[in-house]
Amino acid sequence: MDITPDSGLEEFRSEVVEFLDTAPTPEILEAGRKTTSVFAPFEQVMAWHRILHTRGWSAPDWPEEYGGPGWSVEQRYIFATEYQKRGLPPLLPNGLKMVGPLLMELGSPEQKDRYLPGILSGEDYWTQGYSEPAAGSDLASLSCSAVADGDDYILNGSKIWTTYAHHANRMFMLVRTSNEGPKQAGITFLLLDRMDYPGMEVRPIIGLDGAPEQCEVFFTDVRVPQSGRVGAENDGWAVSKQLLKHERGGGAQSPMLRHRLDVVREAAAQTPSAFGGFLADDAAFQRDLGELEAEVSSLEHFEKLAISGHPMVKDRAYPSLNKILSTELTQRISTLMTDVVGLDALPDQRDALSVGSDTEPLGDDLSLIAMPYYLNSRATTIYAGTNEVQRDLIARTQRP
Amino acid sequence: MDFTYTEEQEQLRSSLVSALRRNYTLAQRQDIVASKDGWSPAVWEQLTELGLTAIPFSEEVGGLDGSIVDLVAVAEIFGAHLVAEPWIPSTVLAGGVLAAFPDLPEARSLLEQIAAGEAIGALAHEEGRGTPDPALITMEAERTGEGYTLTGEKRMVLHGAAADIVLVTARLDGELALFIVDGTAPAATKFTTIDGRPAAHLRFEATSAKLIASEAEARVREALNRAIIVLAAETVGAMGALLEQTVEYAHTRQQFGSPIGAFQVIAHRMADMKLAYAKSRATLLHTTAVAEAGQPSAHDIAVLKTQVGRLGRSVGEAAIQIHGGVGMTDELPIGHLHKRILTIDALLGSAEYHARALGAPRAAKVDGSAGDERQPSTTEKELFHADI
Ligand SMILES: Cc1cc2nc3c(=O)[nH]c(=O)nc-3n(C[C@H](O)[C@H](O)[C@H](O)COP(=O)(O)OP(=O)(O)OC[C@H]3O[C@@H](n4cnc5c(N)ncnc54)[C@H](O)[C@@H]3O)c2cc1C
Repeated sequence: MDITPDSGLEEFRSEVVEFLDTAPTPEILEAGRKTTSVFAPFEQVMAWHRILHTRGWSAPDWPEEYGGPGWSVEQRYIFATEYQKRGLPPLLPNGLKMVGPLLMELGSPEQKDRYLPGILSGEDYWTQGYSEPAAGSDLASLSCSAVADGDDYILNGSKIWTTYAHHANRMFMLVRTSNEGPKQAGITFLLLDRMDYPGMEVRPIIGLDGAPEQCEVFFTDVRVPQSGRVGAENDGWAVSKQLLKHERGGGAQSPMLRHRLDVVREAAAQTPSAFGGFLADDAAFQRDLGELEAEVSSLEHFEKLAISGHPMVKDRAYPSLNKILSTELTQRISTLMTDVVGLDALPDQRDALSVGSDTEPLGDDLSLIAMPYYLNSRATTIYAGTNEVQRDLIARTQRP
Repeated sequence: MDFTYTEEQEQLRSSLVSALRRNYTLAQRQDIVASKDGWSPAVWEQLTELGLTAIPFSEEVGGLDGSIVDLVAVAEIFGAHLVAEPWIPSTVLAGGVLAAFPDLPEARSLLEQIAAGEAIGALAHEEGRGTPDPALITMEAERTGEGYTLTGEKRMVLHGAAADIVLVTARLDGELALFIVDGTAPAATKFTTIDGRPAAHLRFEATSAKLIASEAEARVREALNRAIIVLAAETVGAMGALLEQTVEYAHTRQQFGSPIGAFQVIAHRMADMKLAYAKSRATLLHTTAVAEAGQPSAHDIAVLKTQVGRLGRSVGEAAIQIHGGVGMTDELPIGHLHKRILTIDALLGSAEYHARALGAPRAAKVDGSAGDERQPSTTEKELFHADI
């Protein structure tokens, strides 16, 4: 991969810069500044998704036949970097990075025709219904049941931690279709084309940062068409494993983390240190920042190898490595952010944080987001398979 | 002198715990925090009846003549139960600073009201990004014909918008002095801290104030050091609750057919939580004992604040991780306990600040105070030869 200034990509870069500098509305920019999660504020990020789609740029990683822009690896990297530099809200991953690629691989022609366009355009939001109250890390023990009845399944049970289910119009989920044999062998992968089936109820859960991001979804005799099944009945475990690879390994995190670190670096230049001068001149702070700078750089290098198709990506441990590296770094950066903000991180500013709010923030942008970002980042080592479980998976690949 | 609580203290603690378990469950507490004022006068009255607002003050002002150990014994429990009533701002901070001036009649009459729980005090001290060292206070006081005025901003004043008695630290002729705001309170920007305490930024615009004490730095510093010990006790209490609740959860929550506490990585993480708790509590009890015998050194205080900030954070983070998804919700105490620890860490100098102070060359005095030498202070020497 070569993205040096003389690699002939400067024209591409200016095209990207020109668009990203002019297309986002003030609300979208505000949503970007107020993003304290991997899940940006819903309404604005979906509006931004639709704007990007009109330019043909909503899915840089998708193959051209499904509506991707047909960019080279270098072009994608440049796009991601310029995107993050501007602090734009990251598009929601469930459709673009999870169920979309999965359908390209395993969906029926009808399913592809029916669902891929809505994912690409940002008309649809898909929530992920995997986890259940008793089945988290041990996902295969899930019990939400689907019983065949004519052309339909009848669903009973519940799902939990479904991100943005209260905004979603579609859901992909795992259901139990058999209790025979090993528990992995009775699971089916199902697409729901609506969230308002009779008997379905969505209840938001308030998180540590005070925001409703996850939900619980209850199913009582919910009748859904069997045509939403991906793969064969009872073959859902294999299907979901395919998708998990996209969830854990998908997309470069380093441009976003670099942006966050740059914000911290700039803030430190204005922040007085209790030892006199500014935090930026403080040797202890410099060392903390320096270490994170090195870590972000390594992640950047790791991700560049990955997107350029280096053999390292073929390593079975790759998705887990990627997940741990980026999430633990996210947490460390968020911690440094709260350190820099200091006392100003303490006021609960939930009201000011919602996009379009007329509550004045008590300080600058960084003090508004530092604490919710830190708190929300605690979840990065829990979702998409906890980091304990990822370390187990890495260890398993190392057995002789 | 020993490091255990007396029978009386234990009794008080257990009656406090049972009262809080009954009347201050997380759900009840969250309702209180979400109410208009953010605290409950009814709960406050109960605390007052138990004598908790009177503990550290002399009998002369209606106090109980209690010690720092009594305060610590109570604060551990308040931390574990996330009490949001203004005990820290009124009894510990404002009361603590006033009690440092027993010779002033003015301070005595204010203390009477604070000890009786009738008036609620607040200490407006922190500025900018924090003033771990009182020498950093920059707010200037001006002499006027009749008295004094204050101009500038105090930040993160716990209970600042609703206090009856607002004490303010400011510079008078270059020296740290203590004032009380006269009459109407200064303009307040109210907010709730992430751990559910009502607080405010206070803006002073030639606000008239009464001088309580000039050249007050040494005594204010001592009072703040004692307040740091009580705050640290709240953190240690919160750490204990996090440890207990996490261990219990890990032995109930089943995944892959066994309790998650049976997985070695989880078991070891809980062992680390216990190590962190043991270190922090030992440091707390030591510092408390030193404070009871005399004045803790700047070194003692910095060690304590560093440890509870740093180790407290690690315990809270581990508790959330071990709880998995439910650890991320507003419904469990876990996240709230962690937020209390984070709040206390940022007050009066973070762990990061205090650790740097400890690592600074000995010659370069961090805070200009005495007793920061490498050798143990006399009181410490005495302590170690006492009946430990
Ligand atoms: C913010 C957030 C968003 C989420 N979004 C979604 C979503 O959109 N859709 C969805 O389906 N799910 C979602 N999840 C659920 C997430 O995938 C689960 O929380 C996760 O799999 C962990 O499961 P659990 O919460 O039940 O924790 P548990 O599985 O109960 O784990 C508790 C603790 O035990 C440890 N542990 C468990 N098993 C082992 C083991 N074998 N060895 C060592 N340690 C172990 C874990 O690492 C963890 O520390 C989300 C979760 C969060 C927090």
